[in-house]
Amino acid sequence: MGFWRVVWVVFRKEMLDGVRDRRSLLSTLLFPLLGPLMVTFAFTTVADRQREAGSVELAVAGAENAPALIDFLESNQVEVVELEQTPEEIEAAVESGERDFVLEIPEDFGERFEAAKVASVHFTVDGTRDETRAGARKVERLIQAWSGQMGSLRLIARGVDPQLVNPVRFVQHEVASEQQLAAKVLDFLPMFVIMAAFIGGMQLAVDATAGERERRSLEPLLINPVPREAIVIGKWAGSVVFASGAVILTLAGSLAAVAYAPLEELGISLDLGPSIALGIAAATVPMGFLASGLQLLVATFARSFKEAQSYLSLLMLVPLVPSFVASLWELGDAPWMIPVPALGQQVLLDRVMGGESVSFGAFAIAGASSLLLGLLCVAITARLFRRESIIFGR
Amino acid sequence: MIVVEGLQKRFKAVKAVDGVSFRAEDGCVTGLLGPNGAGKTTTLRMLYGLIAPDGGRVEVDGIDVGRRPLEAQARLGVLPDAQGLYPRLSAVEHVRYFGELHGLRGAELERRVDELITALGMQNIAKRKSAGFSQGERMKVALARAMVHRPQNILLDEPTNGLDVMSTRAMREQIRGLKAEGRCVLFSSHIMQEVSALCDVIVIIARGRVEISGSPDEIRAQAGTEDLEEAFVRLTGVEGAAEADASQEGKG
Repeated sequence: MGFWRVVWVVFRKEMLDGVRDRRSLLSTLLFPLLGPLMVTFAFTTVADRQREAGSVELAVAGAENAPALIDFLESNQVEVVELEQTPEEIEAAVESGERDFVLEIPEDFGERFEAAKVASVHFTVDGTRDETRAGARKVERLIQAWSGQMGSLRLIARGVDPQLVNPVRFVQHEVASEQQLAAKVLDFLPMFVIMAAFIGGMQLAVDATAGERERRSLEPLLINPVPREAIVIGKWAGSVVFASGAVILTLAGSLAAVAYAPLEELGISLDLGPSIALGIAAATVPMGFLASGLQLLVATFARSFKEAQSYLSLLMLVPLVPSFVASLWELGDAPWMIPVPALGQQVLLDRVMGGESVSFGAFAIAGASSLLLGLLCVAITARLFRRESIIFGR
Repeated sequence: MIVVEGLQKRFKAVKAVDGVSFRAEDGCVTGLLGPNGAGKTTTLRMLYGLIAPDGGRVEVDGIDVGRRPLEAQARLGVLPDAQGLYPRLSAVEHVRYFGELHGLRGAELERRVDELITALGMQNIAKRKSAGFSQGERMKVALARAMVHRPQNILLDEPTNGLDVMSTRAMREQIRGLKAEGRCVLFSSHIMQEVSALCDVIVIIARGRVEISGSPDEIRAQAGTEDLEEAFVRLTGVEGAAEADASQEGKG
């Protein structure tokens, strides 16, 4: 019987077994939902905050003492609500969360302002509350700006060039393209995709090796007159299908989430068109070849199903290292990184999602490296399946 | 036909099999009889090619198992010591899987599967997942998948272990049926009655060696007793128990 016919027979049996296994199906289908959920959650939360910061409601006590300031605030999208409260009441209201923050304008404000003395306004805010921070910063910025304008006017009135009191001007240039900024928001996507490659096929890989032995079905299987390589390749292929399925589902879900996320409100223009989606898939799907191969190999050494699962949970952390490093420090982008599994995928994803064009060669090298290393694991596993100590679990 | 010549296997310090030779003819039931740990399972594993012998050779229908293992395995149907099933597959799916691994397909495969389901009385479990099968039902599935390719030579490692009376009877009928078809049946057991009820030739193994072999009558004559069980005890020796335990480690 032909080698590939055996591979096909084993593969079909593993698929049937895998599809009927609730645990492996759940991990393949449920995990990919996690990424998109987080994308949606992150974007909507950020958007909500920005929307709030866009127009701020400001409670003001003593608004009548500085009508010019109030006019300025209102003309800058600040909704002023007038209050009649004592300072103690104001503090209690902010502390209890009844008010986000309150501005108090003392009675002597107008008098001191006219006399060109420093006039204070008091701002009561709770710094521990994240959700009010953006609004408070906006109010502070506006009052500083108004103060600056008033100062300049006074200098001009006295015949002094206002530039004299502004020796340095701070000008910031953003060099990252908007897409790169957006990619920053999606930094965790590669991590999810790589994890999906490991989680998707894990149950099947364990079931096909350590599970097969624990059930005592490995010995009967190996008595069949077929090459061990064909059996292992069939098992590997089954696991790869599950891993790739999880990767593709994770990608599709995340892209759908991005498509429905309120990106324009965030000032992000993220073009995740078909070409970028294809690029992401081309960079990550081959990861399944290696993930499944490694899992088969490691699980073959385990004496039981549980032992295999705990090994593989640890194994899953290894490919996450580049993602972690990338999220903390600049990973850089050197040619040698492309063929290194996990690292190469990370680099490719950064490029693709940063809107750079990636050569076919880079995809091919990263993919071929995962495939070859996966096949190497398969070859070693097939050799192990010849060992008496592995077959009989001694 | 199976020919075994001077098989040797050592597990670390323990000589599990030490020069075992015998022949199992076609149309004949040959019993490998011995106490636990005598080396029966190890011998059988070398016969079906999962353990490489340190010395000696095995031929299945003239094919050297060491040199051409796949060809030899194609001529063997094996019910090994391990009879694990896949809990999510039905009885039919088990038999079909092994049939396909033996190169059967299409209508021929389906006909053979139906035949085995009927012959072994598995109609009630044919479509059920194997997760809840009884010991007897599991044995039937394991037997069916071992015989799906109509092997000329059948190896059964302690086939009635853990079976109830009805299942044991069914197994004996199967063995007699295979013999009637002219196949070569070799089975191992540590139960004297079973071997004497079925076998044409008995090979008694103890401490990894063949103590004696021949027809039940020949063995009675050689041991000088009419009682086969008495003959077994005399030939294998009660003192063999301690050594048997030692070689058990190698059996796994």
